[in-house]
Amino acid sequence: MGIKLIEIAKVIRSKNAGPTKLTLDLLFNDEAGYQMALASEALKPAAIASYYGLQSQQVQFIAYPQALAIKIAMDRKIVAGNPGDKDVYGAQQHSPLLEITL
Amino acid sequence: MNAIDTLRSQVKGAEGLLPLRVLSASGQLGYGVPEEAFAEGLRRKPHFIGADMGSIDPGPYYLGSGNIATSEAQTRGDLKRLLTAARSLKVPLIIGTAGCAGAKPHLESVLQMVREIAREEDLHFNLASIGADMPREVVKKAINNGQVQALGAIPALTAHDVDESTHIVGQMGIEAFQRALNAGADVVIAGRACDTAVYAAIPGMLGYPLGPAMHMAKIVECASLCTTPGGRDALLATLDGDSFTVDSMNPIRHASPMSVAAHSLYEQDDPYHVYEPEGTLHLDSARYEQVNTHMTRISGARWEPAKHWTVKIEGAAKVGERALMLAGCADPRAIAAMKQILPAVEKTVRELTQHTVKESFEVYHRVYGIDGVFNWPTPPAVMPREVFVMVEIIARTAEAAKSVATVFKQFLLHHGFPGRISTGGNLAFPFTPPEVVTGPAYRFSAYHVMQVDALEPLFPVTIESL
Repeated sequence: MGIKLIEIAKVIRSKNAGPTKLTLDLLFNDEAGYQMALASEALKPAAIASYYGLQSQQVQFIAYPQALAIKIAMDRKIVAGNPGDKDVYGAQQHSPLLEITL
Repeated sequence: MNAIDTLRSQVKGAEGLLPLRVLSASGQLGYGVPEEAFAEGLRRKPHFIGADMGSIDPGPYYLGSGNIATSEAQTRGDLKRLLTAARSLKVPLIIGTAGCAGAKPHLESVLQMVREIAREEDLHFNLASIGADMPREVVKKAINNGQVQALGAIPALTAHDVDESTHIVGQMGIEAFQRALNAGADVVIAGRACDTAVYAAIPGMLGYPLGPAMHMAKIVECASLCTTPGGRDALLATLDGDSFTVDSMNPIRHASPMSVAAHSLYEQDDPYHVYEPEGTLHLDSARYEQVNTHMTRISGARWEPAKHWTVKIEGAAKVGERALMLAGCADPRAIAAMKQILPAVEKTVRELTQHTVKESFEVYHRVYGIDGVFNWPTPPAVMPREVFVMVEIIARTAEAAKSVATVFKQFLLHHGFPGRISTGGNLAFPFTPPEVVTGPAYRFSAYHVMQVDALEPLFPVTIESL
């Protein structure tokens, strides 16, 4: 049985980085949690792509030890605010991560 | 003596440059400037005051329409507070991305407010404005020369996109602000600008190293967002050669190495690099050290000048007029079938309107409670007790969009589906009419990077004496 991401992260958020990119920030409570997340297949581009309906090459994973954080950037399927979009700021696209088990 | 020369003499010490105090009044001017923290910032005698007004985050509407995103009254109040403060301290005031999107109408609206405030408050200063509208011929020529690249998942820019755009702006860097200050500006109101340029232009002119100056600018442009708890209060940065400190002007907001480092993640797709027209800021070598419980010292960022100047360009084009149909539903069977009902009703509506609405239209439905916010791959395990249905129509004219929305409303209300038990109607309207015309709809026609030979012609500076 793995541990749930939400149990070891203090921040799980999504936001646009410009209108063509959606990014996820995961900030961890401690080094142990950060390392566990870093090693987990559940946060690798292939897994993230499956939650968001993308190809894995559309997802970038960046470790950021300075803040015990992981940055995940991905293509938006619809440019922010263009017809058909559901979340102009991209601030509510984090929900699938709340269910993840590492 | 003009404002920048005054600053030069003020920061000149016997053994090099003295510490430079930079006050960030607001990360988004026009939503109110918390007074207590701002007043504390003024007591620290900043060498200049900066504020950012803009962002691309609110979508293509503001750039496309030319309307400012903030309320006029609040924007005027914020501008008045900053102008009176900067003039009483006799320090430069630098404001970036006027009116949210920074195209000509946004810049003109803000300049008009500044002129009126100066007259009402009897303030006298040199006002510089910097345009950021990209000449269409320049953009088209760059397209032809292969000097325009998409930024992320957006189609390649075409001359047609350029023609369709109501506004196309470029993000100016420090060069444009420096030109305005060299021309004698006390107050600079810029069109679309890099957030960092607002705060890095002056340190760059005064001779502070650009690596730490740019990093300082990147952090302070969001005011106290880099602290814990984060907030909108004014933030003071003190740039001291190779390093700088950040100090929230609200005593409850503490800047820790972790909170400041984490800020590099915010709204960036890459926490290690910041791309500017004149170069790239590298943050992989940055160091964050605690000064005391409230302040953090930051050093180590490196600035790499660009081989070729580049400008991020942003364009918005009108796609039509938008109308909405808004309704709720609490019937379990209708909720369970809603994702099938909506396309069926759309088909009926398209048939019924084919002779009355003589133009093509787009229909988007969102069922809040099921998939209004996120494109879930599967339906929820348990259906919600209530849902909210928003049907969006985009057509060439508002009349057509409203007409389709009205027909949609009626046929969704009375749509028969297998197992239907509530034959009085499928929808609850909190009020009528449930159709709302919301005005023009836009799309981002450009979010690209353009290589340029010269920055100056793209960002013209105009000086006026008030």
